[in-house]
Amino acid sequence: MTHCTMDDLLALRANEGSVWARKHLEACELCRSELEALYQRVAQLKALPARSPARDRWAEIRGTVVAERHRKRRRWAAWSMAAAAGIAGVLVFNPFSPPPAKADLAQVKAQSAALDIQLQAPEAEGRVVSGRDAALIAQLEDQIAQIDGQLANQQAAQMDAQLELWQQRVHLMNQLVQVRVVRASYVGL
Amino acid sequence: MTISLAVSDVLVARAKTGDLEALEGLYRAFETPVYNLARRILKNAEDAEDVLQETFLEVVKSIGAYRGDGHLWGWVRQIAASKALMKIRRENVRAADEFDETTGAGSPAPLVGVNLDLERALEHLSETGRAVVWMHDVEGYTHEEIAEMMGKTVSFSKSQLARSHARLRKLLAVEAEA
Repeated sequence: MTHCTMDDLLALRANEGSVWARKHLEACELCRSELEALYQRVAQLKALPARSPARDRWAEIRGTVVAERHRKRRRWAAWSMAAAAGIAGVLVFNPFSPPPAKADLAQVKAQSAALDIQLQAPEAEGRVVSGRDAALIAQLEDQIAQIDGQLANQQAAQMDAQLELWQQRVHLMNQLVQVRVVRASYVGL
Repeated sequence: MTISLAVSDVLVARAKTGDLEALEGLYRAFETPVYNLARRILKNAEDAEDVLQETFLEVVKSIGAYRGDGHLWGWVRQIAASKALMKIRRENVRAADEFDETTGAGSPAPLVGVNLDLERALEHLSETGRAVVWMHDVEGYTHEEIAEMMGKTVSFSKSQLARSHARLRKLLAVEAEA
């Protein structure tokens, strides 16, 4: 006589047994007891006591989580610093800024303006100077006036020529400041 | 095995913000069931403890993505089961199956042994077989779910269950005779 296999019994337990298995079960006491034993075994499996870990793993889990958070924070900080450095780099070496000649020209013009302000200050205007220095001042002022005339006639497109003239003007202005402010105050002392 | 798996929504909400105390609360709630699941599937206690740790690291990492669909234990259990099955695959420690394909039906059914005998008999199963028995018969996973988690077919899961039960039956019969 053919009996139910374990596959048949498991299928019967899941209410998926074949017609043959169901019929056989009605007639076979041994297979019924096998099926009953299967039910018992599963019930006992479910009733097995829960096992607990021998040691508490939370401290390790917590340590790993905290370390990971620190790592992330450090990564974030490093990333932020890199980003800040990048932004600063872009600002300093701004690729969208005017070309170098234009930037230099603006810088020289600013220097010249600052020297003009320095020379127009009341303390520079009213100094007592020697005759030799007065002649030098006059010469420098003439040269500066000449350059101003040339600058007035310069085309805006001739950037390099303008830059050179403005540099000469700044150079002369510096000398003028030396004579009218520094030397004059020395004389005053 | 009767363990309360109820966890308050407030605790879950706090855990989602990364609150370590709340995360510890979740750990305390699920420590035993997670370990038990892993221990029933895996051969040794150390591997089960590793799964416990890996599971909770994953819980901490992914709790923000938990949408609250279904019981939290179902979500945690899914992570634990996947980790345990991954361990079996990774370490490739599956013992050669020595299952008897037949049930032995035709002879009187042996008495089902006491807990200790069943525990010992379980340990004689391959890890894959034990995992299928535990996940199907105790945890209530379907063959389709087990197959998906194991990366195998449904018939593989069914066949492992049948072979493992046949093996258990045989082992328990020996115990009963002894």
